[in-house]
Amino acid sequence: MLIEILQQTINGLAIGGVYVLIALGLTTVFGILGIAHFAHGSISMFGGYLTYFLATSQGLPVLAAIPVALVAGILLGMLVEILAYRPVRNANHINAFIVALGLTMMVEGINLQLFGHEQVVIPTGLSRVFRLGGITVPELRLYVIVAAIVLVVAMMIFVERTKTGQAIRAVAENRDAAILMGVNVRTIPLIVFGMSTALGVAAGIMVGALFAIAPGIGEGLVVKGFAVLILGGLGSFPGAILGGTVLGITESIAAGFISSAYKDVIAFVVMILVLLIRPQGLLGRAP
Amino acid sequence: MSKHKFTRACAALALTLVAGSSLAAEKKLTVGVADALTGGGAVYGLPQANAVKMAAEEINAAGGIKAGPDIYKIDVIAYDDKANPTEATNAVRKLIDRDGVKYILGFCCSGSTSAVASFIGNEKAVMLVGNAAERSITTKKIPNLVRTRPPADYTGQAAGTFIARKGQKRIAVLGALDVGFYAQYVDSVEREIKKVGGEIIAREVFSLKDRDMTPQLTKIRGLNPDAILVVGYVEPAAFVYRQAVELGMNIPRYGFTSGSEEQFLRVTTSEQMEGVWDLRPTELTLLSASKNGVAYHANYTKKYNASPSPSSPYAYDQLYALKAAIEAAGTAENTEAVAKALRNLAVPPQVVMQYQPVDGKMFDVNGQAYTSNGAFQWQKGKWVFVEDLPSDSKAYSQFLSTLK
Repeated sequence: MLIEILQQTINGLAIGGVYVLIALGLTTVFGILGIAHFAHGSISMFGGYLTYFLATSQGLPVLAAIPVALVAGILLGMLVEILAYRPVRNANHINAFIVALGLTMMVEGINLQLFGHEQVVIPTGLSRVFRLGGITVPELRLYVIVAAIVLVVAMMIFVERTKTGQAIRAVAENRDAAILMGVNVRTIPLIVFGMSTALGVAAGIMVGALFAIAPGIGEGLVVKGFAVLILGGLGSFPGAILGGTVLGITESIAAGFISSAYKDVIAFVVMILVLLIRPQGLLGRAP
Repeated sequence: MSKHKFTRACAALALTLVAGSSLAAEKKLTVGVADALTGGGAVYGLPQANAVKMAAEEINAAGGIKAGPDIYKIDVIAYDDKANPTEATNAVRKLIDRDGVKYILGFCCSGSTSAVASFIGNEKAVMLVGNAAERSITTKKIPNLVRTRPPADYTGQAAGTFIARKGQKRIAVLGALDVGFYAQYVDSVEREIKKVGGEIIAREVFSLKDRDMTPQLTKIRGLNPDAILVVGYVEPAAFVYRQAVELGMNIPRYGFTSGSEEQFLRVTTSEQMEGVWDLRPTELTLLSASKNGVAYHANYTKKYNASPSPSSPYAYDQLYALKAAIEAAGTAENTEAVAKALRNLAVPPQVVMQYQPVDGKMFDVNGQAYTSNGAFQWQKGKWVFVEDLPSDSKAYSQFLSTLK
């Protein structure tokens, strides 16, 4: 029993890592700019597709394709901010909401046109399996967990310890005060979108390597991302990390010990239960 | 004969020739295809649509369909039903109402096919079902519907006998058990293994979109089964096979998926697939294929630059069956006559699948065709046909006739 619980926890950690990255991207945009960026999942899938394309059609090693896709993600995120969200930044919130929905459909369409309707799996060549007692950890899952941790730590250091990070937090806290303090608020959204999209692209690559990328998968991922956001607390970085990990492990344990048929349902029931007790989410601030 | 009479005779002859040639004028017969061209079901639907188009080109090149005095060249319109009941209903309505199509082929997936089957009996059209394996599609005695693929439980019975013979007693099932025909397959397997004291110890579920099967597999691993049985669409099934190896499950893996080598290798490696059994109708693999099958495989690969999926000939055979029925009925206009001719059809010589006729006919009274069943095993990167699985099409046909 103990081995099964540990195995299910490790199973859940890998997918939890993906949820964390998606949720961190979403919470950064939402917490700082107040935009529900629904296209985040589709853009993540674009990153996964791009890595697959570079690795298979262009013959790049996967380890070289990943940084290229991440840089492309940063640029794409900035482009999205300039072309899609900047024009409606000072308009009613509903405008940004509609733009987000339209953008989702557009990116899904672009993915379909550029990469086709077939599901693709990013070929990593990592097929070793590590065994410890009765627990098995596939090499790829281990690297995904490690990569997720590294990215989360890097992002936390960037936000907490750098000047740009301080400026981002200042804008999130009080935009007007940040302007008075000399923060260039025009560049902050650009940086936020670049950073958020890079995290999303990383998540897309992980999904593509662990499972598969296909039309429609991005939408499911963004729904889970928003669920994590609510579970962890809107706008809270630690909340997104905790929420994503909890959701991944809960899904895995629920499927293993209750029923695989209700895997998603059980995870959302847990989310609702948490919100009944803590409406602000696990680590959100009470209003 | 006077000069005048001779001129009149010549004119009459010319008129007769002109009239004759116009009577045998080439006509166009538009056939519709409703199938999953995108989405999860596309692994079955797209190759089916391709197969129909290829058969149409072949038939046209060989002179078309001769129905009485008319010769028809075939035109194919294919719509994407996304394996979704609503989309399938819309696609078929569009084919019948807007495009004026009388013959509709394809139908890879059971949910969408059942939706169309529920109203096709009221239409002046003939529906030819391919890969969709839900049993109830041919239990309703719909006179204008036939199906080339046998129902899943017909195959499940043969598969159960095979697993029982292999001696494994405790079988864990992981599959798309919320889909009726997969559940019917498993029920049939269970009946057979129970006869030798075996049992199904777990019924775990995955959905079409699931890709992470490790929670279910971890649970199954904890139960120490003798073997696992995987029933479902190719893509999720491929993830099960891959992740079972990753979790160190070194037990026999049986399946009911009908995926091609290419489709599996998009997800798994050949090493991860080694030894997997697929217990299914004797569909297309080169080792089990007839001369027609080998030619079909070569032509399809050349035309589409991809191997055909094993189940795609169900759709290819639909068009040849339709051609034979129209020629036997002597009309393409009277769908009732064509539907009747289909029920009385001997297996056409051009088909790819190896059908087991019932009373000498390709389709039984229920409109159901039967192929033999086979055990295929993944060996060094390929599905290898290992043996036929004994199947009694006549007995099953009688059983099917008793169902409503």
